[in-house]
Parts: sequence; structure tokens; C-alpha cells
Amino acid sequence: MAVYKRSYRSYQGELTNPRFRFLILPKYAYERVFAPKYMVALLVAAMFFPIGCAAYIYLLNNLSVLTSLGLPIPSFLKVDATFFRFFLNFQGSFAFILTTLIGPSLVAPDLANNALPAYFSRPFSRAEYVVGKMSVLVLLLSGITWFPGLLLFGLQWSQAGWDWTSANWYIARALLFGGLAWVLLLSLVALALSAWVKWRTVAGGLILGVFGIGAGLATMINNILQTDWGSMLDLSRIMNTIWSSQFEIENSTGLEPFEAWMAFFAICTVCLLMLERKIRPKEIVK
Amino acid sequence: MTDRIVFEDVSRFYGEVLGVNKINLSIPPGITSLVGPNASGKTTLMNLMTGLVRPSKGKILVRGVRPDEPEALFKLLGYATQFDSFPRGLTGFQYVHSSLLLNGMAEQEAERKAWAAIERVNLVEAAKRKVDAYSKGMRQRIRLAQAIAHEPVVMVLDEPLNGLDPLVRSETIALFRESAARGAHVLVSSHVLHEVDMISDQVILLANGYVVAEGAIRGVREEISDKPLEIVVRCDQPARMAAALFAHDHMVEARLHADGLGLMLKTKSPSTFHKQLNRLALDGIEIESVAPADEDVNALYEYLIGEEGGTK
Repeated sequence: MAVYKRSYRSYQGELTNPRFRFLILPKYAYERVFAPKYMVALLVAAMFFPIGCAAYIYLLNNLSVLTSLGLPIPSFLKVDATFFRFFLNFQGSFAFILTTLIGPSLVAPDLANNALPAYFSRPFSRAEYVVGKMSVLVLLLSGITWFPGLLLFGLQWSQAGWDWTSANWYIARALLFGGLAWVLLLSLVALALSAWVKWRTVAGGLILGVFGIGAGLATMINNILQTDWGSMLDLSRIMNTIWSSQFEIENSTGLEPFEAWMAFFAICTVCLLMLERKIRPKEIVK
Repeated sequence: MTDRIVFEDVSRFYGEVLGVNKINLSIPPGITSLVGPNASGKTTLMNLMTGLVRPSKGKILVRGVRPDEPEALFKLLGYATQFDSFPRGLTGFQYVHSSLLLNGMAEQEAERKAWAAIERVNLVEAAKRKVDAYSKGMRQRIRLAQAIAHEPVVMVLDEPLNGLDPLVRSETIALFRESAARGAHVLVSSHVLHEVDMISDQVILLANGYVVAEGAIRGVREEISDKPLEIVVRCDQPARMAAALFAHDHMVEARLHADGLGLMLKTKSPSTFHKQLNRLALDGIEIESVAPADEDVNALYEYLIGEEGGTK
């Protein structure tokens, strides 16, 4: 029988705040995500339109100084809800492209590599893992959608003054909530699908497919059953309805805002349930 | 009892499949080996004590900490899984470093400890290479590094010696011994029985989800009373010794060695045998050595698990 001294002590030093440990995942993920040069190029390209919009807002406001002399500004040149709605639509499409490229590389490789026990044999929960992986997309997509949108709103505020801002305050709210809703939906769908199929390429195809197939199915159901309820399967139509209602613009999607929100929360719930089922430490029974 | 790993009536089922059943253990510090055939419940037992799976029934305490308290548990415990378990695309250093960050260490401290652990497993030169490009032995070592990097007092290591070359194997065993000598728990599962025999202070033998034996190897062997103990004696008059011993009931078998200088005996009562051996020595038989022949994990494995249909 060996006789042991009890001199071994585990690490007793200070620990970081557990609430922010999920941010360790994006730290390493971004290094990998932006390793290919085309990803950097795509991100830079996603900034062109906001920069163009900023120039447009500046010019238009300074042009309006000139037109205050008596010349009218055509309505299509105005910076209003329609302008910001178009901005969000355009940047939202970029966000979608980035999601199809980045989303599948977040969870699928961990599952394919059986890496979950490596995460969970640490003081790190499944919820933190999902939040950590989601934050990779949420931070990035926010950076090209609602965040530059709010900066543009701020620029317009600084140029047009308080009267314009107080009349259009709802636009800032629409940019924030509409943008966040899109980012959240994209992130959850991407994570859930890549967790479900495990293969990156297939997951990327599936993310594209969910939007395409959903739209097709919606049209089919609507035509066959002579209803609009099928539109609740069409993610693009759901988001268009939400955005239009947020920007207080009339929409022709066939969905009421309430129905769109219901469908939105239902899809998010399904995605969370899929993640709950798949994100578990692998149980290897020998 | 807070320096022990305790299982109280623990069972774990995967649906209708039995993982482990009615496990009662109190594991002291030192090197403990989990031995058993495939699907005997070794990995389930490890997953249970690391909190990766929850028991269907019963209670587990790892040095007084419940496995469902991850913040406290993983301060104490380091786990190296048997199979490849790496986030894709990370270098060896990043793997260990990120593990430490997830453990809650600050950036600089994590970096220092990551390098220290990598140095202990002799992987400094390969640390900046991606784990995907590592050989099996290197992967085993980097897994070990992440398990020991935060200086845990409980190391749970699933087949840690698999795929290691002899030199690294002996270095790794030395590392286990050093940790155990300082009062840490080192729990290893292994199929390589002679290694288990060599490194373990005690063994836990599992079969079909049940613990069939636990404790120091010698103690376990003594408990198996239905199997006569095999003893090898080297002496100058083996035939005379065999004849004298066979006058008593406890002797089962004796086989003389071909060189005429020894014999293999099987006895049902080791204590009676040793008393008689002393008497024979006084009667003039010159005894060179007496050694048990089946007081090792191999024999225990065969007696306790082999008969139950397990694979060796």
C-alpha cells in the first residue's frame, strides 16, 4: 500500500466572471472564420452600402440647405422609413449570405469531431456553449445590419435636427428590433441546422434551402388551400411583415404582424429544441 | 471522507440499456485503475464522476463536491476522454489555452499554465501546429495536457496510455505516480493489464455494468477463496516439499519444474501453506524464493470477468 503525502493543491487563484466566459468561443471562432481572404473581402463589401448611405444622407441634408431657398426635393430622395427599410433589406441580404458561409462552421465541426466533452468537462454549460456560438454570428451580423443602421439614423439626426428625429423616432426602434430579430433568426436557424446534420456543406445548403423551400411550400399551400396561412412557413415573408410593421409601411405579404411574430417565435422555439436535443456531451458507453 | 470519490448506490440507464448498476465505491487518493471488457461501464463511470452524464439513481461526491456543481467540480477535476475530442482547427497550444480560459483563468495565467502543461507532456515543439495534424500519440499527450493544465487534484483519464510509444508511456506513468504521490486521485481506465498491474494502487473491476471487485490487487485476490492460490517456490528439494505438503487437505496441485529446482503449487489455504513452509525450512529444505503466481490483475480479470463471458 502506497503512503501519500497530501501536498497536492488545485489552482487557488482568481477566476474570471463566469457570465462572460461564453465570449471565449467567438475569440477563437473569428480567427478561423476570417482565415480565408474572401471572407474578409465579403465583410468589407458589406460596409460599402452603409458608407454610401452615409454619404447620401450628408449630401441630401446639405442639398436641402440649398433647396430651402425654394426648390423642392423629390420624394424618392427623402431619408425616411422607406429609406431605412431598404437599407435593412439590403444589409439583411448580406447578413444572410454571411450566415450561409459562417453558420455551418460553428457547431457542425464540433459535433463531427466529438468535441463537446472537451467543452463540457469545464465549468461551461450547454446554454453557454449555444450562446457563445451564437454570439459569433450575432456580433458579426449586428455589425452590418442594425448597428450601422442606427449610426445612419444618428447621422440623419445630427444633420436634420430634433424636429425630424422626434417625428421619426420609431425608425430607430424599427432598425434595432427589426435588425435584431433577423440576426437572431438567422443565427438560430444556422446553428440548429448545422447541429442537426453535422456536415458543413450540407448545413450550408440546408440554410439556403430552408428559405427557398419555405417560400415554395408557402406558395403551394396558399394556392391549394386558398389561404394566407401558408406564408407562415416562408421566413423571408415573415421577416418582411415584421419589418414593414416596425417601419410602419404597408405590406403586401398576406400576413398580419401578429401572425408573423407568432411564426417567428415558433421557428425560434423549434430551433432551440433542436439545439437542446443535439448539444449534449457525447455519451460513449463502453 | 472529503478526500475520497464516493459512489452511493449509483445506477445509470440509457433508455433500456444498462450503463452501470448499483455502484458503491469509496475511492481513496492514489492511482486507481478501472478494468473491464468493452461495454462494462468504465466510460460511463468516468462520465458520471465528471458530470457529463447524470445518474439515473444514487449519489456521487468527488472530494465532497457533487458533479452537478461544475464551477466547484472542475476546479478539482481534469478529464481526458478516450476518443478524439478536439474543437476543429485549433493548435495544440490553443486547445490547452482555451480549456484554461473556459476554466476561468485570466489570459496571462492561462498562457503560462498552458505552456507548463505542454512542457510536461513534451509537446512544446508541436504546440503551434494544428491538432488535426498530430499523430495518435501526440493527440493523447495534448489531451493529457489539457486535463492536467489547471492542476486538478482529481484526474480522470480514459485509456491515457493508448497509442503512446514506450518512452512517452514511461514518462506518463511517472507523471501519474508523481501526482499520486502528492495526494491526487489518478483514475485511469485501461485494457493493458500488465500496465495496470504495474501502476495501480488499487483496481476496480467492472463487468456488464457492475463492480465485480475493488481494492488493492492482493486484497482482491485473497477474497477469491474458490480459486486456489498459485505459488511458485524455488528450492533444492522440490519433490520432498511436494510430498510433505500433500499430506494436508489444503493442497490442490503441485508441478515440479523441469530443472528440478522448484515447483508450482496450488493451495486453498495460503496461511496454512506458509506455516508448513516455515516448518519445512526448519527441516532442512533450502528455500530460495516464494512468489505468488496469480496475484495480479491478469489473474483477477480472468477469474472474475473472464468467466462471466467478458473478453480479455
